[in-house]
Amino acid sequence: MSDLNLAVVVKLEPDLSEGNISYNADGTLDRKKTKNTLGPHSKIAAQAAFYAKVKYGANISIGTMSGHAANNALQIAMETCDADVLQLYSDHKFAGADTIGTAEVLKNGVGKMNGKMDIVFSGHRATDGETGQVGPQIAWKLGLTFLGNVISYDVDLTKRTVTAKRLVNLRGVPEIIQEVEAPLPVFIAIDPSYKYYFDSVSLRLTAEKYKKEAFERAQHYSDFLQTFTLEELGADETLVGLIGSPTIVYNVQRVPKGKATRSAKVLDGSNPEHIRQTVTAIKEAFSAMVIK
Amino acid sequence: MTEEPYRHVFVIIEHIDGKLLPVSLEMLGEARRLFDDYNMRYSSNEKVVAIVLGHNVQDLSKTLIEHGADTVVIADHPALHALINKTHTKIICQICLDKNTAAKIEPLYATEFQRPRYMFFAADGIGRHLSSTVLAELDSGLASDVNKLVISDLEISHPVKTGGKKVMYAKTLEMYRVDFSGFLWTTILCLDNTNEKFPLRKYSPQACNIIPGAFEPLKPDSQRVGNVVNFEPKIDPDDLKIKIISQKFVESEVDFDNYKAVVGFGRGIQESPEKNIKLVEGFAKLIGAQVGTSLPISKNVFSASPAITSTYMIPARVIGTSGHKISPMLYIAFGISGAMQHLSGMEDSQFVISINSDENAPIKDASDILLKGRMEDVIPLLMDEIKKQLPTMVVK
Repeated sequence: MSDLNLAVVVKLEPDLSEGNISYNADGTLDRKKTKNTLGPHSKIAAQAAFYAKVKYGANISIGTMSGHAANNALQIAMETCDADVLQLYSDHKFAGADTIGTAEVLKNGVGKMNGKMDIVFSGHRATDGETGQVGPQIAWKLGLTFLGNVISYDVDLTKRTVTAKRLVNLRGVPEIIQEVEAPLPVFIAIDPSYKYYFDSVSLRLTAEKYKKEAFERAQHYSDFLQTFTLEELGADETLVGLIGSPTIVYNVQRVPKGKATRSAKVLDGSNPEHIRQTVTAIKEAFSAMVIK
Repeated sequence: MTEEPYRHVFVIIEHIDGKLLPVSLEMLGEARRLFDDYNMRYSSNEKVVAIVLGHNVQDLSKTLIEHGADTVVIADHPALHALINKTHTKIICQICLDKNTAAKIEPLYATEFQRPRYMFFAADGIGRHLSSTVLAELDSGLASDVNKLVISDLEISHPVKTGGKKVMYAKTLEMYRVDFSGFLWTTILCLDNTNEKFPLRKYSPQACNIIPGAFEPLKPDSQRVGNVVNFEPKIDPDDLKIKIISQKFVESEVDFDNYKAVVGFGRGIQESPEKNIKLVEGFAKLIGAQVGTSLPISKNVFSASPAITSTYMIPARVIGTSGHKISPMLYIAFGISGAMQHLSGMEDSQFVISINSDENAPIKDASDILLKGRMEDVIPLLMDEIKKQLPTMVVK
């Protein structure tokens, strides 16, 4: 019987490497025209949960709010952390939600998971929305202590505490590494730089065993998949979707071009003489001969 | 006439051990500029309020008033010395909802006060999370990474918010944020629901977190007057179980300050990321330059080997408002189109050369030379020429 009960909230995101983002007339993202995948930060959150599964033993539930197209993302997440349960929260009434409307659905979703959670994980932020707000807002709605930008963590099963290192980036001062201890349950938003490391042979062997299991499970991920509508979640429809969202996207425009600060000389990169001129300019720059 | 229950702009001040972070004064400066106009157009008795949490932080109030605050609310308590999201969220919300504090900020109409009208946080390692949890508690809207703010009266027709009817939203904060591409500017509004099909919901404060460096602080004015309000925080004993074991500063793994030359690369690597980054790496090594990137590179959107990814596709290398501001003697931008946020990070470079296949890319306006061509074609030619012209170049 595992000691830890873990949740990972993940997000299906546009595959930015394809560069095929398009917008609806109202300024929201047109998800139908965009190829999607498991968000890279969500994947790191699943890796962080896998660490606890290997080190302490854990039951892992994964939840996402999306259309049915998220099955692929849930499958990847399952393979990443050997999840035991997959949950998809899908209802047209969830559409158009801002962060607080999204957090409300995911809060209800975590409530439908297998018992009381010890740690809920999320990614640092989504690569499309980029707000980084949903994680802390779910944490607050669940009443969990929020630990953001976590770069490593460990759990004391006897004391029922977590010790986490956080990377705090602030402009104007060097980075801060803060080590914090908090009683379980907590919500961890994992930093992009997180990497797990198993410091013993037995843990590495356990990891291999779970990875194999995860690969096999992921082939049959739909056997582990539960789907919830608004009604099945028991969520308040006035708190989700567009109507539950305080904010709207009012306008999307091109960022106006700034005033030219320099007047560039345009040279041709295939012309040897122009290459020579450029290198001469590099040489002059180093000799501090360029006076602006 | 009854005044509205939402009043003032609250600016959440950030400091480390009593030393103000620059973004705090930048946010105050913008709040002051907006409210100088607001006070004339709408109401002269709404204030720019700086909120400070910490221990032994009374000394900050003078600086904050000199930089634009009408009122400084200070919650000074040993438990607030450590930066713990849960505790800080609760105390900020206590301040936001406290009528006694509101009466000390501005006695007129204080009985009507319910919540702040606007709230500003920093878009950094403290303010991002804090703004999210505070607004979750206050159940209102938050825009993130904002770099332009306007207050205006807007007539809005929205299928859900207004049920399609035209509704005048007065004193609305237009919050502009640059999207992930760096070229689209999205305006976010926080609006009450007036659609009769749903329960009326009022959302206040209208809140945002602001990119450090986006706004200028005011020049300090020692003649400015303001009042200081001491707030007695109610600390939840349960929250004291969250403990900071250690806190230390670490120098960034990527140092730009000690290099005379910086080489940056952007999405121009996309056709062959691994190969192109190695080309940039070789070029940088040849001229002794540090390597930086544009913001999209740090987002794991290009595939490359783990060695390249972990060395180059990391936030610590980003040049721009979301990363480093650099000022080397020479900056060479390979395949960077020049989103505004990148330009503001490199514009202080002494001499700028950009290599781009599009001779009209925005980076042109921030360059001294634009060498037209694909980076994979141009870099080897430049390297050959450098070896010819500068056989013993040592520039670090």
